[in-house]
Amino acid sequence: MSHDAKPKPVPVPVGEVVGQSVPKPDAREKVTGRALYTDDLVLPGMLHGALLGSPHPHARILAYDTSRAKALPGVRAVLTAEDLPPVDIGPVIKDQPLLARGKVRYAGEPVAAVAAVDLPTARRALELIDIRYEVLPAALDVDAALRPDAPVIHAPRGEGHPNVATHIRLVEGEPDKVWARCDAIIEDVYETPAQQHVYLEPCTTLAAVDPDTGRITIHTSTQTAFRVQAITAEALAVPMSRIRVQVPRVGGAFGGKVESTNQPITVALAKAAGAPVRLTFSRTDDMRMMRSRHGARIYMRTGATRDGRILARQVRIHYDTGAYADDGPFVAAIGSYFSRGPYRIPHVDVECWSVYTNKLRAGAFRGFGNPQVHFASEIQVDRLAEALGMDPIELRLRNALETGEKWLGGAPVESGTLRACLEKAREVSDWHRRRERPSTTSPGKRRGLGIAAVGHVSALLGSSATVRLNEDGTVNVSTGAVDTGQGSDTALAQVAAGALGLSLEQINFSRPDTDTSPYDWCTGGTRTTFTVGHVITEACEQVREQLFEHASAILERPVKQLELRPGGVVGVRGEPGLSTTFGAISGYALYVAGGPIIASSRWLFPAWQLDTRRTKVEGLPSMGNGFFVFAAQVAEVEVDEVTGKVDVLEAWCVHDVGRALNPAAAAGQVQGGFVQGLGYALTEELVWKDGHLVNPSMSGYKVPGALDVPVAIHPVLLERAFGPGPFGAKGVAEVGVVGAAPAIINAIRHATGARLNQIPATGERVLRALLAHEAPATKDG
Amino acid sequence: MRYAEPETVEEGLALLSTHDDARCLAGGASLVSRMNAGQVAPAMLVSLHRIDELATTTESAEGLWLGAMSIHRAVATEARLRGAMEVVRSAASQLAHPAIRNMATLGGSLCLADPKTELPAALVAASARVEVAGPAGRRSLPVEQLLVGAFQTSLGKGELLTRVFLPRGLGGAVGHHLRFSRVSADYPTVSVSLVLAMDGETCSHARVVLGSCGPVPLHVDAADAVLVGSRLEARDVAEAGRLLVQASAPLDDVRGSAEYRRMLIPRLLGRALSQARELAHV
Ligand SMILES: Cc1cc2nc3c(=O)[nH]c(=O)nc-3n(C[C@H](O)[C@H](O)[C@H](O)COP(=O)(O)OP(=O)(O)OC[C@H]3O[C@@H](n4cnc5c(N)ncnc54)[C@H](O)[C@@H]3O)c2cc1C
Repeated sequence: MSHDAKPKPVPVPVGEVVGQSVPKPDAREKVTGRALYTDDLVLPGMLHGALLGSPHPHARILAYDTSRAKALPGVRAVLTAEDLPPVDIGPVIKDQPLLARGKVRYAGEPVAAVAAVDLPTARRALELIDIRYEVLPAALDVDAALRPDAPVIHAPRGEGHPNVATHIRLVEGEPDKVWARCDAIIEDVYETPAQQHVYLEPCTTLAAVDPDTGRITIHTSTQTAFRVQAITAEALAVPMSRIRVQVPRVGGAFGGKVESTNQPITVALAKAAGAPVRLTFSRTDDMRMMRSRHGARIYMRTGATRDGRILARQVRIHYDTGAYADDGPFVAAIGSYFSRGPYRIPHVDVECWSVYTNKLRAGAFRGFGNPQVHFASEIQVDRLAEALGMDPIELRLRNALETGEKWLGGAPVESGTLRACLEKAREVSDWHRRRERPSTTSPGKRRGLGIAAVGHVSALLGSSATVRLNEDGTVNVSTGAVDTGQGSDTALAQVAAGALGLSLEQINFSRPDTDTSPYDWCTGGTRTTFTVGHVITEACEQVREQLFEHASAILERPVKQLELRPGGVVGVRGEPGLSTTFGAISGYALYVAGGPIIASSRWLFPAWQLDTRRTKVEGLPSMGNGFFVFAAQVAEVEVDEVTGKVDVLEAWCVHDVGRALNPAAAAGQVQGGFVQGLGYALTEELVWKDGHLVNPSMSGYKVPGALDVPVAIHPVLLERAFGPGPFGAKGVAEVGVVGAAPAIINAIRHATGARLNQIPATGERVLRALLAHEAPATKDG
Repeated sequence: MRYAEPETVEEGLALLSTHDDARCLAGGASLVSRMNAGQVAPAMLVSLHRIDELATTTESAEGLWLGAMSIHRAVATEARLRGAMEVVRSAASQLAHPAIRNMATLGGSLCLADPKTELPAALVAASARVEVAGPAGRRSLPVEQLLVGAFQTSLGKGELLTRVFLPRGLGGAVGHHLRFSRVSADYPTVSVSLVLAMDGETCSHARVVLGSCGPVPLHVDAADAVLVGSRLEARDVAEAGRLLVQASAPLDDVRGSAEYRRMLIPRLLGRALSQARELAHV
């Protein structure tokens, strides 16, 4: 990104492919069941893996006895931490062994692994593993973990409470001095749950080790082939050059497959057994062993003047990161960074803790710390509007960051389109009419409308792409990007087609393979279309230059008179009859002069270094922050006064996507994000009792189904093309989940007056809030 | 594990008697998932799919006999289930989700006796009886006597449930089923099944049964008695609700705390009664 240089004008695609809702080429194979996922793959002699989970939330491991399991016919390998290199992994804090070593830190934590000829045998072998534990006192929530005498979960790393994984402080302005100038101050504590990813495809890996060379091949469901390669290499102490990762179809990920899942342990099993091993989690094992979104408790206080200028905000965030830090420090960073919201608030004091507890680790999840702080912020802004007697949209408009203004920490907002999103949301939802006269409904039910403003980032970190011309003039595009089901393969092929004026049939977009693909960091952080799209357009631009160089010789015209024409044709401007094809140019390059046409491009999104003269910064782990994007989400709800159950009737989601490369795919992301946010708002919550998960199944843990989702989630795509994304496209993937919950909670308040500061807003919580709200009213008569 | 597909009830009974640990397989919706989870491992599985008798519906002057192997979807679309019997049709049409309704059976529901489920409660509301076949022949008993505890029936060793009888009930009575669940495809948090008859504005008959409020469907005669003869005004409903709450021992789980379920009982009862009343007046 060009923070100082003048931004380049946004390029215009050639031909009609960009902007069309072309169907995903993999749609048919998925609908008909032909698509191959990791668990569909079989290698000769393949074994089946399974993991044993800890029965205790916190316990010392005294002794293992695996002899009975090893003696079971059909068992080929049994591993515990004693059989693995003494390596701890973790993206920020190296605190996690592949299998618990010395002690277990959450119930369900993998402690032993088995490979056997079939799954029932592997499972039976797990039951034959004897482990002696000494049960330790457990810290089961953040409060308990922060007590001075709390059980210590990890060996202390320096000063401070040993259970604090991350502590961050960001201060701007002089918040302490301005509270007195505020005419309205709202102060509350907000709580959000440990939501789980519930990707359709549980984590799965097929690993094989070549007996002669020791070379490792991994097929796995992941968001990143390259990070899997790097983490496996680190965990098992093997060079990356000996590891190849390939990614078949992926059945959803949502952040849960950003770090390693079960890849390293499956490789360890394959090595120990001397045969390929496939390890696919059951849903319950996946829920007990993998990850969740960070549950959070957020204290927030915001003050504004009578005319609706927000002056000051104080925030204290506690993220429950569970037994291991995983991506928790980054989540805490994003949460802190977004806790001012997309608003111009001059005086801010943010403090954030990521805290170890003896529970399932929390990690990356669509929105990455931002849904939690938006939940607090957007509810608080609504209450502030109430206190000031202002329309909620009006108050947001007054404080919305505009282009050129600065984010918390000083990064410039390059395309400040929140105002446009809010205004559009007001228009398409018929805001004023529905707010003033909520539509009527059946007895015992009340309707209301609520809004949330959203700011998020897209881009971040590194990507590369290679584009080469085939002999017939078609093009191969290679990137390391994983399509997790969201459709990036389609959108990125459209980008290449638009950059070179080709049809989609003329593009071969290859899937990631660490042996042959150029590096990509990860499909996460709303970055793939933006960042990988950027390197594709850059590589295509180099290919265009090579094409023009040869075309100039072929057509005998200077390069600057040449133009791309749709269909793989280079023509001469002003001379419609004069042109040559990519195929002809390719032949020329291959056999006459120059050599094969090929180009590659690489990019590291330039992270913004926080301005420490402006902002007091403590403890913020470095993060590749990105390009700011904006949205506004409106929800209409119906609240059942008998049960407290909330139904979302309709939603309007206005997103500035910069340019809709594939409008149907972008709309799908917007709707899918809203639905995941709806689950977060109303039903999804991991529940523990005495440190054990109570609902690790799809029957106990409820994601919304087709019948629970409003038919009308209106995606409204604004196209304010700007910045280094392909043709001015901005990211959208995570954004849709960020504002859904506060929009819904604000709508419940509008419908009933009931105040909820905690999600999910289950029937039980809503009914209690309704009764609490009505109680004083009855007393007054 | 052994597996068999007998074609008559008698063959089925013979097979059941060959193993101590033999089990009937109906829709398999619960049994197979419990086997997959390693919770049960029967030595012998007797599939009931080929026994025609168990899939037969017969009508008599007094009511309808539904075969134990009737899947929920078939019950939900059985047009002869009118009046009081409608409570069963209504429950079958709403419960769980289409996949379960296409798989699971009436007999399976009763023999599973899961307190989270609602069809047993609807059958109690309909005053259903069941027929059981066993080594000693056939017997018939009220459904309440079959459902003796959470996941517990009074079926003896080697017995199987053959069919369910639904009496027509009082002329003019209506059956109604109201369920409340977290999301549409979930077990109910609380369900209310009832049969109601009105004489003008006065309730002339009421039979209210709750699901998920105890180990077995909750039916309280005294609560029915409060409603009968009343005009179903708020205080009548509240009093009946109070009696039901008093007798309840609600589940306490992720679908709702016991306390929430107690809050829901009178509230849902009020709604169910007013909806049924609308139906009674049509
Ligand atoms: C995911 C899920 C959601 C559900 N949701 C609901 C709901 O919302 N509401 C609701 O009311 N119910 C619900 N149910 C329960 C469902 O309606 C059935 O009651 C249940 O699945 C059992 O029916 P089945 O035919 O599949 O029986 P099976 O699973 O085949 O058998 C269940 C048990 O009954 C025994 N059995 C079956 N038939 C006979 C017979 N004729 N004689 C003797 N023993 C027999 C079997 O041996 C076994 O022990 C749900 C079930 C599932 C799996």
